[in-house]
Amino acid sequence: MLQNKDTNPKINAVELAIMANRMDAVVREMTNTMLLAAKSSVLGIARDFSCAIISHDDQVLATAEALPIHVLGMDSQFSYIRKYHPDFKEGDAFLDNDPYAGSSHAADHTTLVPVFYDGVHCFTVGVKAHQADTGNSLPTTYMATATDVYNEGSLIFPGVKIQENYKDNQDIVRMCKKRIRVPDQWFGDYLAAIGSARIGERSCKEIIKKYGVEKIIQFQKEWLDYSERLTADAIKKMPKGKLKTKGWHDPMDPILPDRIYVNLDLDIDPDKAKVTVDLRDNIDCIDAGLNLTEATATMAAAQGVFHCLKEDIPANSGSLRRIEVLLREGCLVGIPKFPHSCSMGTTNFTDVIINTTMSSFAELGEGLGFAHGNYCNTAASGVASGTDPRRGSEPFVNQMFMMGGGGGASATTDGMHYYFVPVGAGLLYRDSVEINEQRFPIMIKSMKLLEDSMGHGRRRGGPATEVIMGPRGSKMKILHACNGLETAPKGVRGGTESKLGENVRIAPDGSEHPYPAVMNIDLEPGDLLRSRDQGGGGYGEATEREIERVLKDVKNKFISKEIALTVYGVVIIGSEKNDSLDVDIKATEKKRSEIRKKN
Amino acid sequence: MKYRIAVDTGGTFTDVVVADEKGFLTVGKSLTTLDRYYNGFKAALDNAALSLNTSGEHLIDNCEVLIYGTTRSTNAIVENKVAKTALLVTEGFPDILTYRHGGKQGVFDLAVELPDPYIPRRLTFEVPERINAEGEIELELNTNKTEEIINNLKNMDIEAVAVSLLWSISNPAHEVKVGELLKKLTPDIPFTLSHKLNPIIREFPRTSSTAMDASLKPLMQQHLRDLEEDLRGSNYKGEILISVCSGGVMHVQDVIEKPIYTVKSGPAMAPVASIAYSSADNLGDDIIVVDTGGTTFDVSLIREGQIKYSRDTWLLGEWTGHLLGLSSVDIRSVGAGGGSIAWIDSGGLLRVGPQSSGANPGPACYNQGGTEPTVTDAAVMLGYIDPEHFLGSRMKLNQEAAKKAIQKISKPLSLSIEETADAIITLAGENMIKSIHEITVQDGVNPAESILVAGGGAAGLNIVPIAKSLGCKKILIPRTAGALSACGGQYSNVVAEFSGSYYSHTEDFDYEGVDKTLNDIKSRLTEFKNYLQSKNINEFDEEYFLSSRYLNQQWDMEIPLPVNEIKNAQQLQIVSKAFHDTHFQRYAVKEEDSIIECMDWKGRLIAILEKPTIPKISVSDKKIEKNRESESYFSETGKVATPVYLGERLLPGMVINGPAIIEEPTTTVVIYPNSKAEITETRNYLIHV
Repeated sequence: MLQNKDTNPKINAVELAIMANRMDAVVREMTNTMLLAAKSSVLGIARDFSCAIISHDDQVLATAEALPIHVLGMDSQFSYIRKYHPDFKEGDAFLDNDPYAGSSHAADHTTLVPVFYDGVHCFTVGVKAHQADTGNSLPTTYMATATDVYNEGSLIFPGVKIQENYKDNQDIVRMCKKRIRVPDQWFGDYLAAIGSARIGERSCKEIIKKYGVEKIIQFQKEWLDYSERLTADAIKKMPKGKLKTKGWHDPMDPILPDRIYVNLDLDIDPDKAKVTVDLRDNIDCIDAGLNLTEATATMAAAQGVFHCLKEDIPANSGSLRRIEVLLREGCLVGIPKFPHSCSMGTTNFTDVIINTTMSSFAELGEGLGFAHGNYCNTAASGVASGTDPRRGSEPFVNQMFMMGGGGGASATTDGMHYYFVPVGAGLLYRDSVEINEQRFPIMIKSMKLLEDSMGHGRRRGGPATEVIMGPRGSKMKILHACNGLETAPKGVRGGTESKLGENVRIAPDGSEHPYPAVMNIDLEPGDLLRSRDQGGGGYGEATEREIERVLKDVKNKFISKEIALTVYGVVIIGSEKNDSLDVDIKATEKKRSEIRKKN
Repeated sequence: MKYRIAVDTGGTFTDVVVADEKGFLTVGKSLTTLDRYYNGFKAALDNAALSLNTSGEHLIDNCEVLIYGTTRSTNAIVENKVAKTALLVTEGFPDILTYRHGGKQGVFDLAVELPDPYIPRRLTFEVPERINAEGEIELELNTNKTEEIINNLKNMDIEAVAVSLLWSISNPAHEVKVGELLKKLTPDIPFTLSHKLNPIIREFPRTSSTAMDASLKPLMQQHLRDLEEDLRGSNYKGEILISVCSGGVMHVQDVIEKPIYTVKSGPAMAPVASIAYSSADNLGDDIIVVDTGGTTFDVSLIREGQIKYSRDTWLLGEWTGHLLGLSSVDIRSVGAGGGSIAWIDSGGLLRVGPQSSGANPGPACYNQGGTEPTVTDAAVMLGYIDPEHFLGSRMKLNQEAAKKAIQKISKPLSLSIEETADAIITLAGENMIKSIHEITVQDGVNPAESILVAGGGAAGLNIVPIAKSLGCKKILIPRTAGALSACGGQYSNVVAEFSGSYYSHTEDFDYEGVDKTLNDIKSRLTEFKNYLQSKNINEFDEEYFLSSRYLNQQWDMEIPLPVNEIKNAQQLQIVSKAFHDTHFQRYAVKEEDSIIECMDWKGRLIAILEKPTIPKISVSDKKIEKNRESESYFSETGKVATPVYLGERLLPGMVINGPAIIEEPTTTVVIYPNSKAEITETRNYLIHV
């Protein structure tokens, strides 16, 4: 993958690869530290956090398997910190979550530690972690109903120095403990983030010691340049094309009475090796927690583009130089205007932007792009709170990660089955049933992939997941807001769309009570909650799907015999009882030509 | 004279290493016999016996310990040739193996199709039952429904059953009951219960190892029982120990119960041998270990004398493949070896592997019916392997057959035979370099800072250009390189672990309960120790561990227990301090006023086996004599007269300049132009690149 085209590089190609991988190894070490030391399961199990190394001149350098929406933006967060603390020094650590100054949303606490060597600031290491609670007015970190930041109520830390000389500022720790729910959980997570950053600092210093400051600075430039070249090469392989397109978000009673459209203009210019995404022609900020931040609007568009390039692009500031995202100030999907709330600035509208970008590529040519992936961030990934009767009514609050979420199909591959939502990109870990039940007073009745839940096509979407769960012996509250109850992920190039998501309370008498998009769920003992997310959309015509794939799907109960027959035109014979399912080839050929004629 | 015999059966070759009382090692080699592995072992043993001027029977009669390693189980998993296995899970959770942990490699790459789960959905059956986190029964096991499921397994030709129910670790009653039903209704089908095999919280890793273990049972139990029967039939009376994935050995009976432990066990022994060799020659303790057999190329890593382990060992890809669920030596494998087949793809490009000619038919030059060109055939055509002197002249190779096979591809490529052969060797090397990069460069380790220890029958053919491309300056090729994994068996220990779960925390510590748990572990450990002592093993190490965490932390951390017992506050204080210190060392923070939760307790017994000491010989001032010359081809020089040396004649202190070829009874070492080999005091080869 490595082609060094610089005429006179100071670091040869092999050494560049070794150094870059070594930086990624540090990021993985930081990630492991955070994961293993964390107290909340949103961090310790689901890995809803990301670590990154920032260059000496505030560019995102190395991110390993971090979530793109988290890490790109940490660069400008540190630029703000420079402004507030021009005399920053070794031993300092900063806490930042200001959505108006580079951060994603208030729930993502970022710990940033500048790394010095021989008095020179060589790197900054960062850990951005989605907190179980951030002191909002309601026990959730996704507050759709927040009319503004005051109503949201989250504690904001605009580049606050939380450590000096490697010692905590106890004033700030005390402030947090007084306002954040389950304070010991927050403090444990804070310590884990500090530990992760300090481990990163330690390892970075070892690398600088080995190569020397000068070479390290040189490396940063060359690696970012290389990443840019790689991205440019990948764009040059794309067809030239311009497309005006739109996606939308479901209505959300009472905050969004109508569907909201997102206009997205995509311009792929292989000659200039550049992709431009224009998001300016969109509505102003709204009085709800759904506004994006500058960082998340930019990264959502870029992430959609990166998924569609046929190269393994490193997620860093160098690659981002080739993607221009045009934003407008005061726009819902742009640069937010104070005091609008960005409580859900990492999900919902980012998912719309990513899905729309990816399906636009598919419209531009066979073989390109993807069908839509799951929109529905169900209650099974909501923020649950209550008290635990098993532990003397000890209070708890935490985001769960039990949903699956089908990924959209590509031209060559079926969609993933644990894609989560587009912004998760299949990178998040999943909660263990046993760990969840040990931690929280819940009983999970079932968790499984649903038959016929995906969009069909030559390649089908990933199946949806259904989770049924209920509280054990106490009341439980779950707050969340989801998309995808009225809009299904769409298929591309003849592929079909999948099904709608749902969140339903099943009362002890068996009656079912569906929840709207903005969920304020109160479960009594005996109640059950059933959540279904969405499968991904399909790619290409279903009658072109290989018979073997259809048979395998029927055998494994991803596709029913009926859908195999009516959608794929494949006639299944034999019995699952003795594992003898097979295809009647002749009848299938006949059926398929019938379907093709009809279409 | 008493002997210890170590055996390693690979996909192509069976290696035997015999150690005598003085520590001298003798290697024997033969083709693996897939129908009855013992025959290949016996042939390899006879082969070693020949060098010792005795008979295989004599070696068996005088053998005290036999250590057996095999790649049989790994190959079965990788080639998807395990038993047709059913998985029984708690109703409502059929997709544990499909979901895995979540996560994947490649941030932006979404056009990846996830591999199928280890056991497909169609062979997964949901058993109505439920136990909760506290081990209380929420829903009684429905035995009628379970019996119905089990009875239908027969109609589906199921050969093994894995049972993994939620919370079986806190109350195994339902798994035990399902086990009884299986025994009653399908007495001939082997099964594995998750709480017995791997009693850890988190349903995915536990279910994954249970599925793997069950799927290996028909195959591996037969395999190990055949081996034991054949050995006993040949009047062997000593111990039979089996190599396991941790780089240690276990008794055959224990492994028959848990065959999953043999997965990746063969290559796990190579680093054990490498440490012994490298330290005997004072060559440092940062080592890259490569082992090139006939079928696969394995790489492992030693940093500062410590073998790199992996807690998450995946087969067929991290996150998206299959999780072993047990700690094992970290090994990366690719399909590349002496038997790898060279072919031309549809685009007209030359490719090597991953298909291998295996032991049967083997490379074309083996004259066993193989017609495809392989790496070994290329080495014959380049004059690296002498068809008359292969494996110490024990096997005659057919040069004409090798030539014919290579011609099949040299013609369409419009290259000469030698150029084609050279390209085959180079390409095979590229695949190997890539997998060395994976374990070093990708983890930020610079291969240039390590010594390369190369083993396996085919390692010497191209290790010099590989080292050059990696920037490695030194390569150590042991004289016994042909059987590196088997050698590891000679230097390994018996390692056994005994664990118990007992929850308590430091604020209100249950001294009595913990003491009872620790005593129970100690007594089981002592029982095993007594058993080993009855077998004349007398040197032991005992270590005790505690898995604990800060209150409400998600993951627990294992620390060595700094005290033998916890009976008072003072001893508990020492344990707490050890936890805080380890936490600080590992995660750079500690929370000294937090409660510490103690979860699992473990005792580890290491029975230190007597090992051969590596004898040293003083430097000789004898002159080197070549045996003959060979017409060999190198890309730098073209065809050139190349001296051939016999390994047995080479003595410490001698230096051989490339180009040259050194012939050992089980391997051939090619010293390329511009490199040189030095014979060390232990009579191993140190190549300077």
